[in-house]
Amino acid sequence: MAKLKYSFLFLLYVLIKCESTNVDTISSDIRLKNVDRTVDISSQLVKIALKVTLENTGRSPVKNFLVAVEKSAKENLAFVGTKDYNNKDLRLVETSVKGYDYVKLYRVELKEPVNGGGTGIFTVDYVYTKALIPYPNAISQQEDQLVKYTGNIYVYSPYYIASQKSTVVLNTKTIEAFTKLKPFTQQDSNIVYGPYTNVGPFSEKELNVHFKNNSPFLTVTHVERLIEVSHWGNIAVEEVIEIEHTGAKLKGPFSRYDYQQDHHSGPASVRSYKTLLPASASDVYYRDANGNISTSNMKVKKDSVELDLRPRYPLFGGWRTHYTLGYNVPSYEYLYHSGNEYLLKMRVVDHIFDDMQVDELVTKIILPEGSINIKTNLPYPASMLPISQHYTYLDTKGRPVISFTKRNLVENHIQDFQLRYTFPRLLMLQEPLLVVGFLYALFLCVIIYVRLDFSIHKPEHQHKD
Amino acid sequence: MVRYTSPINPAVFPHLTLLLLGIGIFFTAWFFVYEVTSTKLSRDLFKELVLSLVAALFSGFGILFLLLWVGIYV
Repeated sequence: MAKLKYSFLFLLYVLIKCESTNVDTISSDIRLKNVDRTVDISSQLVKIALKVTLENTGRSPVKNFLVAVEKSAKENLAFVGTKDYNNKDLRLVETSVKGYDYVKLYRVELKEPVNGGGTGIFTVDYVYTKALIPYPNAISQQEDQLVKYTGNIYVYSPYYIASQKSTVVLNTKTIEAFTKLKPFTQQDSNIVYGPYTNVGPFSEKELNVHFKNNSPFLTVTHVERLIEVSHWGNIAVEEVIEIEHTGAKLKGPFSRYDYQQDHHSGPASVRSYKTLLPASASDVYYRDANGNISTSNMKVKKDSVELDLRPRYPLFGGWRTHYTLGYNVPSYEYLYHSGNEYLLKMRVVDHIFDDMQVDELVTKIILPEGSINIKTNLPYPASMLPISQHYTYLDTKGRPVISFTKRNLVENHIQDFQLRYTFPRLLMLQEPLLVVGFLYALFLCVIIYVRLDFSIHKPEHQHKD
Repeated sequence: MVRYTSPINPAVFPHLTLLLLGIGIFFTAWFFVYEVTSTKLSRDLFKELVLSLVAALFSGFGILFLLLWVGIYV
């Protein structure tokens, strides 16, 4: 019986192993009838949205299809997501295809298969960071920032594409140069390429756009997000943020006089930005090593708290700043329980500014002392760090700290994690009882002290009383 | 699973602090006055222990709610 059990377990293991190696084949039945692509390079990010009309030319239903990322863009990819025509998220799994090891491929698992002869409409979103290169890479205070984008004129796909059209969104009319592959049209701040018909799989042709882009090029080089859960009804959040302006570097001197006098001076610099906090945030603080940074404003809105943060100095290319932002939220917004089982649902990373890019994130969650059976469920893969201890007021053996880290994040990564743990409710009494015990010990010392006699001579009349 | 709220509403932290600490300080004062005024013979160990225990209990919980009130969420 035991043998049978083990062999079954082994079989299960092999099955799981096979699943996880993920080798796919490119189905010849799939053909992309039409692809509409929008390449948004008006911010510091490159946001590519595809609207794909997929056709199944075979007979058997198609349960999944592949999306591809060019070899040259592989390193810059921060996020990829797929939705079906109902705007429901589809599951993506990283995979590979024999002979195309240099391509990054994802398998999209469909909720409803596309039947033979049928079509399906899907949207695919890609977000790339650091794909816009400032050119020239150093400018003076008065100059505009010019950036260069290098991409692919064609939609990169493992399938045959019957018809495709790409719109490059620039948000400016100042275009120095761009690749001209007929047919193309330039309307206002957009360049439309195509329609190109009958393009084969994995087609690549370089697309270059050199244009003005004064949107804030801010990179969060490091953010440490600390979430401290207290069962007395509060969750404290603190973010230690390091920001660098990663646009064109500032060349020559910086004149504060010019900068103050002319509001259009320093178009590529960043004076301030907006951070959105949860609507229930209170007791917000914004400070750095010197203390409170007073040049900030807070607006309480219906569904969020908007902070207008202005660093101590404007940020030019290559300049950096460092600050701490913290606030409290009530526990009922994010913490759930049934008996002694608790579930914490909070954001892995929160909004710092619009179109943000985060190089490195470390999220730490401090649970109450005595929490056990901790299970973490992350919305996307991140590397877990070992559980450590945190010591603060009225702690004895330390609070468990769950931490994880991830590189290269964008706004699409603002998603909830789930953390389950067990906490015996009676343990909440530990903290007040510690204080009580301490005070009682003090009183006992007094009781003992008054009974001691430290005099060096004996009383004259020993039994006077 | 239901939303978790504190066993004690944070809105009453200030009142609890003042009440508990008030009682705690009263008993602490009583204890110390008793300690310095009583003599070797009139001292009653049982009374001292009870007084100090009551003082410690009220002051201890009072200090905890004071911490919570000022924003140190222990």
